[in-house]
Amino acid sequence: MDQRNESGPIVWSAIIAATCLLLLVFQKLLWLVVPFLMGLILYYILYPAAQYFINRGMSRERAAVWTIVLFLMAMVVVLSFMVPWITTHIVDIQASFELYLGSGLLLLKRSLHALEANWSVFAKAHLAETVASKLQASENSIVEYVEPLVMGIAAWTPSLLLAPFLAFFFLKDGRRFKNFLAHAVPNAFFERTLFLLHEVDQTLHAYFTGLMKLAMLDTVTLAAGLWIVGFPNALALGFICAVLALIPYVGTILGGLVVVLVAATNFPDTPAMAYWAILLFIVARLLDDFVYMPLTIGKSLHMHPLVVVLMIFVGGSVAGVSGLMLALPLLGVVMVVGETISKVVTDPRLMARHRYSKELRRKLASADLL
Amino acid sequence: MEKLHSLSLFVNLLPAELAIVDEMLHERHYIKDEVIFDEGEEGKALYIVADGEVLVCRQGAPDSGRIATLGAGTFFGELALLDDAPRSAQVRAAKNSDLIVFFRDDFVSLLDTHSRIASKVARQLARHIGARMRELALKVGAHQHL
Repeated sequence: MDQRNESGPIVWSAIIAATCLLLLVFQKLLWLVVPFLMGLILYYILYPAAQYFINRGMSRERAAVWTIVLFLMAMVVVLSFMVPWITTHIVDIQASFELYLGSGLLLLKRSLHALEANWSVFAKAHLAETVASKLQASENSIVEYVEPLVMGIAAWTPSLLLAPFLAFFFLKDGRRFKNFLAHAVPNAFFERTLFLLHEVDQTLHAYFTGLMKLAMLDTVTLAAGLWIVGFPNALALGFICAVLALIPYVGTILGGLVVVLVAATNFPDTPAMAYWAILLFIVARLLDDFVYMPLTIGKSLHMHPLVVVLMIFVGGSVAGVSGLMLALPLLGVVMVVGETISKVVTDPRLMARHRYSKELRRKLASADLL
Repeated sequence: MEKLHSLSLFVNLLPAELAIVDEMLHERHYIKDEVIFDEGEEGKALYIVADGEVLVCRQGAPDSGRIATLGAGTFFGELALLDDAPRSAQVRAAKNSDLIVFFRDDFVSLLDTHSRIASKVARQLARHIGARMRELALKVGAHQHL
């Protein structure tokens, strides 16, 4: 039974307002929110492993310890390969960025000149000249932004180490926390609230594990496509684009841009490679929307697509890049909490039972005072 | 834990198994006359009387519609563990009572993760439902078929 499609405009307005407010607050607490969110994602990813150990007869605590230890060991192995590569390449990140940006601009210039050569309308409008002058003006400012952005990311990266720590406690004490929350709910609302809490858990589980599956499918699809077209490091590029695609809508464009820049740099004399990359991203986007998303995330958040798109842009304008990333999961949680509260407090019978219960308790507490 | 073991639903569980089930249970305190659930409400959980007494009655008729009184160690609302059927009667606390609540979703997850424990609980549940049916059949004179 779907109990989620009865909320009216007032509830939805409150949900969206609360989400925006939380986005504003969370923007100031990114150092905590990001690891918490990562910890939550990690919890849902590792949950099946912990459950496997529990099914084999381990206690919850021991299963949580083993799951996290195995995860950390896997991370150490991965990092031992990655760190040497990163340290050798980190020095020339800015130089590489400028190189890729320059190649991208060159490709754009050539494409615009080709358009002018074939379409007199564009030639009369001096399209290439106009775009080039505008881009020239903004190019320097883009490069200036990159360094602080990279430094900013590096500054709060250590806080990500909190994620496995938080995931461990979610695995170990998740049920205890659920019971703790349930304990605070009055008797009249208890059964309904606990059912909805279970739904929240299921929704978040479906959403986060769905996201991971989607990223894997995107990686394989993009890597295969890029490899067929002839791109070097197709798997790494596919992975980067799939991770970027986790930022809804905007991420796919960013991923496409990265691949176009790589094409423009590695194949400066073959603009067709960039066009193939664009075509590949359009195909990947269509596959995402019509095949992969229904298979993975599906309708886990029970939200209208229009609300999803609007909320992403609202999130972006309220809290920048972090708003883009946090808007949907946050909206998902606020939506379920808001709808739960609205369903409970608008049920006249439950409210009447709660008032009656309070009255009984008040009488009992004051029985010997009369 | 001893208290749990004394409950008929969990009587066959070993201490380690009881510890696993214990994590899934919720304790609630109801005061005399408080409504536990209403007739017609969608059932999501089974209730076990740990202490006190509850009254099963027709909706809104605790005196004239009295069906049964259940004491410590008994349980009610057991059909909610099996399906979404609406509650067949209203239940109120006849005395100040401590109840233990076992949710269907937790029972379902127990079936997935600890089928041995779940089968022991399900067996006790089946026995209980069987006894209820036999009791009902005796009332209507159909005991020879049971």
